[in-house]
Amino acid sequence: MDLLSPIASIFLGLIMGYLGQRARMCFIGGMRDYYLVRDTYLLKGLFSFIVCALAGFILFQFVSPAIKTFPWFLDGGAVFAKKWAAMGVTASPSLILPVPGDPITWSPKAGAHIILAVLGGFGLGFFSCIAGGCPFRQHVMAAEGSKSAIVYLVGFALGAIIFHRFVAPFIKAVLV
Amino acid sequence: MRITAAIAGGIFGLLGAAGQAFFHVIPPPAYGICIACHMRDLVNWIAAHIYPIYGLKAGGAIVIPGGPVSYNFPLLTIIGILIGAVIAARVNKEFKWKVMRVWWQKPWAEFFLGMLVMISALTFGGCPIRTALKAAYLDITAFIGLIMIAVGVFVGCQVLRKLT
Repeated sequence: MDLLSPIASIFLGLIMGYLGQRARMCFIGGMRDYYLVRDTYLLKGLFSFIVCALAGFILFQFVSPAIKTFPWFLDGGAVFAKKWAAMGVTASPSLILPVPGDPITWSPKAGAHIILAVLGGFGLGFFSCIAGGCPFRQHVMAAEGSKSAIVYLVGFALGAIIFHRFVAPFIKAVLV
Repeated sequence: MRITAAIAGGIFGLLGAAGQAFFHVIPPPAYGICIACHMRDLVNWIAAHIYPIYGLKAGGAIVIPGGPVSYNFPLLTIIGILIGAVIAARVNKEFKWKVMRVWWQKPWAEFFLGMLVMISALTFGGCPIRTALKAAYLDITAFIGLIMIAVGVFVGCQVLRKLT
């Protein structure tokens, strides 16, 4: 049983929680502040996140075997091809297949993945904007004592079960 | 030293890459930091161990819907974030019980908003933080997701202007 990842992730979370509370970190909030009042303080956080993560992946791929699929749009196709061979699916990989994570993960239909990205991305932006911050910010606000954010977290946790019970089978039935 | 969002974002990015590179937070790739996915793994793991019918049994082992890294034991990022933020709020004396003023951020409304955010996030396959991490992993679908998040926030801002 590999316990390194849970133990590492709790320390990762500790650092993130502390820094996120000090910096008022929020990606959705960054976009919202830019639209509403042209304030770029939080938006800088988003850009520096992408730049530093990219730099991290580029540097670490030379020392760690875990990042062997790094430029995903080049190497991701091979991962899919291997999986399809095991599943008995014949399809040719394309550049736009996503990193596994959405409910139809190993589907060979690139268009379906894009539909999910468009629908999910729009809903994520819209509802997070109304709720007043991205999920990470809501966790930090819950820890600061906001009762709204604590109730948000309860809904957030129940949403996962509702999704896997009702929404994911529906998406699979429609798109696969 | 004052921690700005730019510094915190940079540290988060490096941690996300390092989590995958050195701390075995893989598979799936680009999973180092994600709020929605790690919450999903934790909730599903607990649900599957309370009600085994929820987890799909495959050869005796409970397989949860979620990242393969969490099959044996779930990632605990959520717990860490809550503890870290409570420590930061307590140390800097910013902890205070409060409720948002506007009606769409009252607790009953936030419950449904949280549910809708989780469902949208899992439809796409990640919260905004993992979307950015996937974009840094050079996944083209994630760039489409980032653009759609910006569009969604733009529409949300128009609605907020109408509401206020």
